[in-house]
Amino acid sequence: MKKIIWGVCLFVLGFSNLSFGQAIKSGEKLVYAGSYNMSGLMTQLAQVTMSTETVSTSKNAYLHLSCELSTYSKWDSFFKIRDIYESYVNPANLKPSLYKRSIDEGGYTKKEKYAFKGNTVNSTTKRKNKPETQKKFTIGASTQDVISLLYKVRTLDFSKFKVGQTQNLMIVFDEKQIPVTLKFMGKETVNAGNLGKKECYKLSISAKTDALKGKDKNLIWLTADANKIPALLKFSIPVGTGQLTLTSASGI
Amino acid sequence: MRKLFLILSVVFGVLGIAFTILPLDTLAFLPIGLAFVFGLLTLKKSEDSQKKFPKIILTIAALCSTVVLGKTLLVKDEVATDTQFEQQKIETKQEAKKELEELEGLE
Repeated sequence: MKKIIWGVCLFVLGFSNLSFGQAIKSGEKLVYAGSYNMSGLMTQLAQVTMSTETVSTSKNAYLHLSCELSTYSKWDSFFKIRDIYESYVNPANLKPSLYKRSIDEGGYTKKEKYAFKGNTVNSTTKRKNKPETQKKFTIGASTQDVISLLYKVRTLDFSKFKVGQTQNLMIVFDEKQIPVTLKFMGKETVNAGNLGKKECYKLSISAKTDALKGKDKNLIWLTADANKIPALLKFSIPVGTGQLTLTSASGI
Repeated sequence: MRKLFLILSVVFGVLGIAFTILPLDTLAFLPIGLAFVFGLLTLKKSEDSQKKFPKIILTIAALCSTVVLGKTLLVKDEVATDTQFEQQKIETKQEAKKELEELEGLE
């Protein structure tokens, strides 16, 4: 399931050296149906919910970006998954302050926390039946966690991109910086759940990781409007292919 | 040849039943379809006195197909209410707020 999450997360990249447009709104909720391709047939596996909300401390207000993955009840008896990926970011520039990941996949649990302080990340990891480990590492100025990048990419102005144009960037995942490349592949019309059929920007993602495979087989379609809602995501991982289709979008 | 078809129809028949029970949606049609095909081939190669078993395989395949089709059309994909998970989300958020305040304190 980590690889599936990778498939989701790696679609969503940002560019530190590009201009950003509309900010992400608080109160947004996007629900996806996650399917996995088994022998050419798509099997509905899980629901992915991405939501945003404002969280305030005594000093600052943060945008809480959350991505939850829950298997459908029919799968729970066989392989129950309850994953949460969260990022607390500056609402103005989506720079992360705190990233948290809590996974429970068929009984295997892992909790991860990254506290961002400038270019330094203090990470804490706790795996099932293993002692907690702590690590301190340095990241680039534009490196972000996967969830905040998921949203940052939506602030980009793809109307200025040329077909085939690529951009390199860095994300931090599993206590490692990973270089990722995003390629703009043009526009296509796809079904966007309750939003109906929408013209979308088609983007291809590749990363220097074993989690994704194939050339231009990991794709994301973002609605070609101000909201840039991810309408469809297709991914190819070593154990097969899958997709996330938007079923409902609210608060946009 | 009949024996081979018979073995294959039984193997795919068993897989078809397993896939029907598991929440594999239309994927179950794969072994069921193969069980059906090999069941038919076995039936074709069988003498009149040997036709009972392949007919049973075909009946099982037909029943499994009906169950899978019914499940696909009637059972809605939904996430069960998970109070433990909801509680975990609340606690995680509360912890995060404290952690953010700690980070702010370091500034």
